[in-house]
Amino acid sequence: MTAELLRGDAYQGLRLDPRTKMAMVFVVGIILTAGGYGGLMTYVRPALAFMPLLLLLLSKRWSAAAFYAAAFSAAYLGEIFLLSSTFGILNFILLASVGLFARFMPGLMMGYFLVSTTTVSDFMSAMRKMHVTEKLAIPLSVMFRFFPTVREEYGAIGDAMRMRGVSLCGGKPLKMLEYRFVPMMMCSLKIGEELSTAALTRGLGSPAKRTNICRIGFHAQDIPFLMLSAFCLAAYVRWLIANGGGAW
Amino acid sequence: MQRQDNRLNPKDLINVGIFTAIYFVVMFAVACLGYIPVFMPLLMALCPLAGGILFMLLAAKVRKFGAMLIMIIILGLFYMVMGTSPWTLPIGVVTGLIAEFIVKSGKYQSSKKAVLAYGVWCIAIFGNLVPTFLSRDAYYEKMVSGGYGQEYADAYMSYLPNWIAPVLVVACFAFGCAGAMIGRAVLKKHFARAGMA
Repeated sequence: MTAELLRGDAYQGLRLDPRTKMAMVFVVGIILTAGGYGGLMTYVRPALAFMPLLLLLLSKRWSAAAFYAAAFSAAYLGEIFLLSSTFGILNFILLASVGLFARFMPGLMMGYFLVSTTTVSDFMSAMRKMHVTEKLAIPLSVMFRFFPTVREEYGAIGDAMRMRGVSLCGGKPLKMLEYRFVPMMMCSLKIGEELSTAALTRGLGSPAKRTNICRIGFHAQDIPFLMLSAFCLAAYVRWLIANGGGAW
Repeated sequence: MQRQDNRLNPKDLINVGIFTAIYFVVMFAVACLGYIPVFMPLLMALCPLAGGILFMLLAAKVRKFGAMLIMIIILGLFYMVMGTSPWTLPIGVVTGLIAEFIVKSGKYQSSKKAVLAYGVWCIAIFGNLVPTFLSRDAYYEKMVSGGYGQEYADAYMSYLPNWIAPVLVVACFAFGCAGAMIGRAVLKKHFARAGMA
């Protein structure tokens, strides 16, 4: 309890071990995009697609859950009804949008779930317990916090460009690249410098072994999710063997 | 200010993380085009081209052994989770290492070597298409049964005949170098300040 107070996050939903969440991101991501169809997979796929919704609800991310439910069912229905009734280029464009949604949405939402319910300290602590080298753990933890920032900064640059009347219609793609990328990277570098200063004050990179206030560990609530992940993975491996390695 | 240390310190690792994040977002945005079959082979030119600036800035910022390798390892892991292909990771470890040795041979001072390194590094992006060529029938089967439809799968396969594989590898390298040169041109001021020529 004291640890939670000190950490100061107001998260009140279901608490899962970060490692459980990571395992589920892997399982949902890989199986839904690379896995096949038919046999056991007929049941595994919908179960996995339902997973992000369940987890978002359990962690009280109401708006994200509603968004996911609406977007996914729209894409799913679209795939069933629109695709069979359209042809040619229209069919391709529909596939592009619908296919992207139906395949990547669950994985992306799992990613969102992982990022939004895991603090960086939790993440680092989990990485340490899995004996992941700092050379991978630090960039990864930065990335997890950085994705929302990328979007924010990108929007801000767009606003600034619009204010000055710089638009895509200028007909100079190389200039556009420069106008977008260079400020994006420069402000990212600045954020990076701030982040590293913050990290250094927390003793990252000191030769001594770091301690961590987060006590992560597997609890009862982790078991059903881990078992489900293991089962889905087993079904996927079975499918791989039955299909001669699948389409790897 | 900066310690003359050859090992990556946390500051460098944080920079690697930031650049990998932006690189991934850019790649994802560009790769979405690939859902239109014609664009699939073109992606092998567009992706390296788009990431050139990012890579060059990282090369200028972190001049130590390992940054490029870590970047491609993380990207490979992400591609794996995204289910595009597990091949980017093993190929990336090899091309990433070669890229590291190329910039190292220039003592991290030569921007020409960095351009070359990005070309080699980019070959890993081809890893995303390896399943298409390696297990063509199974991939086709998966597309048809996976709701893409016969027409789409046929179009996809017709744009990616087997003979195009080596062409695409070369394209990755060539457009990677081109992207890095654009990046170098765009960032000239920055490079000059960093003392890299």
